[in-house]
Amino acid sequence: MIQALEAYEGIVGTPVIRQLRMLGEKLKGIQVTHVNSTSEGGGVAEILFWMVPLMRDLGIDAHWKVMRGSNDFFPVTKSIHNGLQGSPAFMSSKDWEIYERVNAENFEELKDILQQSNIVIVHDPQPAPLLKLCENRRGKWIWRGHIDISRPSRRVWIPFRSYVEGYDSSIFSMFQFAQPLPHPQYIIPPSIDPLSPKNIDLNESELESVRQQFKLDPKRPLLVQISRYDRFKDPIGVIEAYRMIRRVLPVQLVLAGGGATDDPEGKGVLDEVMHASDGDPDIHVLLLPSDAHRTINALQRLADIIIQKSIKEGFGLTVTEGLWKGKPVIGGDVGGIQLQVVNNHTGYLVNTPEGAAHRIRFLLQHRNIMQQMGNAARQFVRENFLLTRNLREYLTLILSLHRGETKARIEV
Amino acid sequence: MEPFRVIDCALLQKMSGLPAAVNLRELRERIASCSRNVLYHHFCETLLAPAFDYPDYRNDLAIWAKQRLGDEVLAERLGIIDPYSFSSMDDLRKIVLEIFDERLSEAEVIPSAKRGYEFYFMETTIVIFDTGNRINHPDELPTCIQNMTSSSIYFHMLEARRRPIIGLDDFSTWLQTSEGSWDHYISAIRSIDVMFFTLTEIKNELVRVLEAVQDTSRSVGHQ
Repeated sequence: MIQALEAYEGIVGTPVIRQLRMLGEKLKGIQVTHVNSTSEGGGVAEILFWMVPLMRDLGIDAHWKVMRGSNDFFPVTKSIHNGLQGSPAFMSSKDWEIYERVNAENFEELKDILQQSNIVIVHDPQPAPLLKLCENRRGKWIWRGHIDISRPSRRVWIPFRSYVEGYDSSIFSMFQFAQPLPHPQYIIPPSIDPLSPKNIDLNESELESVRQQFKLDPKRPLLVQISRYDRFKDPIGVIEAYRMIRRVLPVQLVLAGGGATDDPEGKGVLDEVMHASDGDPDIHVLLLPSDAHRTINALQRLADIIIQKSIKEGFGLTVTEGLWKGKPVIGGDVGGIQLQVVNNHTGYLVNTPEGAAHRIRFLLQHRNIMQQMGNAARQFVRENFLLTRNLREYLTLILSLHRGETKARIEV
Repeated sequence: MEPFRVIDCALLQKMSGLPAAVNLRELRERIASCSRNVLYHHFCETLLAPAFDYPDYRNDLAIWAKQRLGDEVLAERLGIIDPYSFSSMDDLRKIVLEIFDERLSEAEVIPSAKRGYEFYFMETTIVIFDTGNRINHPDELPTCIQNMTSSSIYFHMLEARRRPIIGLDDFSTWLQTSEGSWDHYISAIRSIDVMFFTLTEIKNELVRVLEAVQDTSRSVGHQ
């Protein structure tokens, strides 16, 4: 269910909500249109699911348009997506034609709103060509790249760049993810919704029921990593760390993820994980449905320590979710995890299974430090990674673009 | 007395367009040529970036020197710099370049960061707006400050130091230029060493010292 802005007041405080209302007041009535390629599943849809209603709650005439793709379109955009993230990718001239054709078809449907909107925010590579097609636009256009394009395949990046360089500005989640472009590039890290099923507070009975469902022993420490089954998340490394800890402490491990059944690579990794777990009854390898948000929430809350031992990572919102539940996080020293896990404060950054085992053993012997870290972690997320901060930064950007201000200091 | 206008602001980070620095020599070159806004961002807006409340040092250059170059000596020399003690960003730049040059002359090997840990040069766009709230009397300060956002605190306590009167916060400047004698409040506010507090802590500290002044006045009044 979509919450009104005031529903977050008890979490972030009255001044934060009041500040958003004031910014919203300056933008009342302007038309903002978001365009992406999917209405459900994936991080972008999750963000738009709360952002568009909250913008409307502020008086902004916000819209969310989802482009339609054909059977031959999404394999092409998947190749663009992979190529932009650095995987070797081959794109034929026919592929680029499909990409442009489907965008042209969508443009015909969306033409009126795209031409009228004061601000258009185009998310990710799929709808990026819409800008070139919209010659009679009156508003400012922003390209929001949610992925890391810092080291792209040049064979994809060079043609793709021509679609995005004409935008008025772009947004990336971290400065490390950006590429030089001939317009201002803003940095807006993602955020979590504290009232979503994945993050909302759960009562004891719901936690207990999840504990019983997966036969977790309440008397022994629990380590949890929530991730899809992907080698970059290093689930095998997590099992290695668990085995090192088990020599001295009776810990339990939950590895939980979803979506592996329809992903051939994920299925292979899941098989490897099952093999590595070797029937150990204290290693719980869970394949959860994509809507098991409350179960994931409960597992994170039942954990003593959250692990995210990735060897390559985007921003790492599962880390944010773990920190929000007041748990220290043992995270791989990569990507956005570095921004969130601060050694000795919110957890520890590690590079190896040995490093993870060492830090976990230390924490399990120092419960008071775990408690302090957990408290600090929750406060850290409250101040930096909740949707209210994310919304404020979008409003700030929209305000500066709408007013056509390029100065570093804008008084409104 | 003229009421105090409560201002708020929202900041947005953006890439400066300068190439990232991999080592101390490149850092020196870029700092020598970067805009004042870039320098200001890396020295004065560290507190506003999504980062943990207690970094070892209070500016981005010192933090990078320690964490990514592994150069504790450089980090300590940069870390103690109070950017608000300089009358201009160019004066600050001069001192920073001297520290870099000194360190480069001492170093046998130029300290370098690993790939992926380069220093990125950023700046901010700041949008400033009047909240419509007014403080009509100094005695209202603790309650009003308690209800301010962290960014209002940033604007009135830190960003203010960049504006005339250089180096002073807005609250004590208002008291100083208002009718009446508010010396106890002024000295309480100026006793806060903003370099070593987070924004939340600065707010709490302001409320604490101002309430302490009020408590003292009340107890003197009762005697």
